[in-house]
Amino acid sequence: MSRRAFVARRIAQAVLVIWLSYTLVFAVLFVLPGNPIRDKITNPLNPLPESVVRPLIEYYDLDLTLVEQYLVTLGRTFTGDLGYSLVSGIPVTELLAQGLSETLALAALALLFSVLLALGIALTAVFFPVAAVRSVVRALPAVFLSTPSFLVGFVLLVVFSFQLGWVSSIRDQGLVSYVLPALTLAIAVNAPIAQVLIQGLSRARGEPFVTVLKAKGVPPATIAGRHILKNGSIPALTLTALTVGDLLAGATIVETIFNRTGIGLITEQAVREQDTPVVMAIVVLVSTLFVVINLFTDLVYPVIDPRISLRAAAAPRRVRRRVAIG
Amino acid sequence: MNPTTPTIRRRHRLAAAASTILLLAAAACSAGAASDDTEDAAASDEPVRGGELVYLDAEIPISALIQEQGTWQDRALFWNLTDRLVYRNAETGEFEPWIAESWEVSDDGLRYDFVIRDGVTYSDGTPVDAQSVARNLTRQVYGDEAKGLAKNYAFPDAAEITADPATRTVTVVLTQPWAPLLGALTGWAAGLLADSVLELTREEQSDYTNLVGSGPFTVESVEYGKAYVLTRRDGYAWAPQSSPNQGEAHLDTVTITPVQEDSVRLGTLRSGQAHLLRYVQPSEERALADDGYTVVARSGVGLANQWPLRQNAWPGDDPDVRKALQLAVDREQIIEDLYTENWSAATSVVSPGTLGYTDLSAEIGYDPQRAATLLDEAGFSERDADGYRVRDGRRLSLKTYVDVFDNTAKALFQHIQAQFKDLGVELVIDETDYSSYGQTVNADPEVNFTRTGWPHPDPAHGLWNVFSSARADSLKLEGADPQLDALLDAGLHAPSTDAEAAALAETQRYLLENALTIPILNDTQVYVGAPDVHGFTLSDGGLPEYQRAWLDAG
Repeated sequence: MSRRAFVARRIAQAVLVIWLSYTLVFAVLFVLPGNPIRDKITNPLNPLPESVVRPLIEYYDLDLTLVEQYLVTLGRTFTGDLGYSLVSGIPVTELLAQGLSETLALAALALLFSVLLALGIALTAVFFPVAAVRSVVRALPAVFLSTPSFLVGFVLLVVFSFQLGWVSSIRDQGLVSYVLPALTLAIAVNAPIAQVLIQGLSRARGEPFVTVLKAKGVPPATIAGRHILKNGSIPALTLTALTVGDLLAGATIVETIFNRTGIGLITEQAVREQDTPVVMAIVVLVSTLFVVINLFTDLVYPVIDPRISLRAAAAPRRVRRRVAIG
Repeated sequence: MNPTTPTIRRRHRLAAAASTILLLAAAACSAGAASDDTEDAAASDEPVRGGELVYLDAEIPISALIQEQGTWQDRALFWNLTDRLVYRNAETGEFEPWIAESWEVSDDGLRYDFVIRDGVTYSDGTPVDAQSVARNLTRQVYGDEAKGLAKNYAFPDAAEITADPATRTVTVVLTQPWAPLLGALTGWAAGLLADSVLELTREEQSDYTNLVGSGPFTVESVEYGKAYVLTRRDGYAWAPQSSPNQGEAHLDTVTITPVQEDSVRLGTLRSGQAHLLRYVQPSEERALADDGYTVVARSGVGLANQWPLRQNAWPGDDPDVRKALQLAVDREQIIEDLYTENWSAATSVVSPGTLGYTDLSAEIGYDPQRAATLLDEAGFSERDADGYRVRDGRRLSLKTYVDVFDNTAKALFQHIQAQFKDLGVELVIDETDYSSYGQTVNADPEVNFTRTGWPHPDPAHGLWNVFSSARADSLKLEGADPQLDALLDAGLHAPSTDAEAAALAETQRYLLENALTIPILNDTQVYVGAPDVHGFTLSDGGLPEYQRAWLDAG
């Protein structure tokens, strides 16, 4: 299969995935009880009469049937009109732009920290000369995995903001404000990458080409850094792409603790209030992000490992994922 | 407790573990704060001009659509950005002139003439004159259907509103008396807005940066979910008469920052990064007070927190059972175990200080013996294996959902669950998530009650809206109690304040003598200020009044 045909097929698949997620979430939101406008009537604390709320229900097309509402919103989404938040009246595009710029910066830094942490852990766990240190470091990913983000984030806040006063817990101070949340997020998501990298490196280390390299007198550092790492990192790369999902999910908790108004916080608010236009836009955004990153990863494999062809790219990934999870 | 929409504290369980760490860590910071307080006290009499106050709330303000009531966080902004025609003195409960320098009400309660104070302007420079007030009132009464804007539900459905610029008079003529009108005019949703706002679309009006009022602060900037910065309005000189500050606000700016996580909010205050917060657990309230922080609390005028008993769900239709439940709640014990001295037991369906308030604590006071006798007489003398009372093999059991709007609700409900159990009554407490709460509790036919009761600008309107079969019908009577409906209507359409008060007294008695609802506590708003915050007060409804506050110099 040519590269172009492969990309075209994958893009078609991607559009299908995005449309299916959109439709599914729309149907679920419609079926679930609760929407911010009708809640004004049923809220036991401050019930508004139906007559007062009726203009709002009509304004937001909430009096239409499921199919009518679906077609109207899908049509608008296609033309780029994401509408307004039912709750705050803010244009959805504005909310997303604010959230994305915030979260992308956070996620990028967190991803960088994750990869660095994972590399550091894996290289130490596989190559460090002292066995005791290797086994302690090997256990680190499990420790990270079982430590809740809110606790890590909170401890960092207590120490660096409340005690030392180095950063504000509420004000934005530029790059420095991203460090603690990114570190919290990195600790939460780097563990699987580190574990897979440890496995990959251990396996690659035992392969015959390593013996050949040793016999040729290549220095151990070069073997580890150039040859083993490259061979052992493919599964970790797949996992890193999948980590984007974890980063977005983790951002919800981390952004809450560090008071950052990114996609995580906007998602949390929108889901809590069942703010349909915002939730739908986030679904489209996140599913697009996901498929694009996975497509990108598939295209990058052959660059790292020439043994992988695009034709084979889809099938082995499944195997690798299983390795990654196991 | 939070009286309105979004203030859910779902994470406090998670945070409980974390707050232990915080408490240890905060000990050092707070020691410093407490010792400073004694020095501040001497210097705090004379207000200091300047300063940037940082206030933390648990939730994000949502929408500047003022006449649609907003959430608690919105109301706190409305209160400081706009002025209203009438002010209710929080201490005396009396109406005071504000933007209306005087008013007259006809004897039949159908005509109101308001004389508008001269010289008041909106922050865009346009005058707050009779015509502008008339346009505002028209919108309060009718909304703006073309723009999808709801009306203010505390106003009557129709009124003829005219302005006479020569006498600076606005006249409101009603077709039927509407006793809550003056009260509604004191409410957060009745803030006056400049024409430039009224011309905008619904979405544009939702944006705080477009809100133009005549209040002591204006909006400087909004970063959604992060910071809402208010700046002092230059030239402000029309505070209500009773305000100790008749001029401009002392503070340069007020920054409202939503911090969702309880322990982060607390840590931020304790580490000196903020001056003021709302929404603390009662246990934290005590610790903060001990460390020199000022706790400012108010039970707002309006309805008390209560459980209206639905009569379409067994055994809510049995008056003896209802009475027994009403007598089985030991409110003082609840306050002792769960709250602080800033909270108080409900003594009626409205809170003390509210128009027409009648102390009915003798009617609803804790009396477990009488409660047990009533249940025995109602046929619930047998007990099942779990110790619950049964009649004809059916366990005396009630169901409710935890109120999602109150951070203390779960503990409160569980406490009453234990008290009911002592009497042999089972209380099943269910939980649902924030967004589906309203519709779930409304649709579930087994629910016996849901919590209601909040500050309200007018008690007759508040009670009517909750209990009338024409409105929320919280008792699910569907008109089966015409006497109750008549009492509620009498309060609503009373031709004078005295007549409204008299109807209210009768309504309270009727609701409680017939045990139609179980009052629990008086709704209380609790704010905590750092030792350098002074002069901070709360409105009649428990909203912050930043115009009066100041910070220590430096």
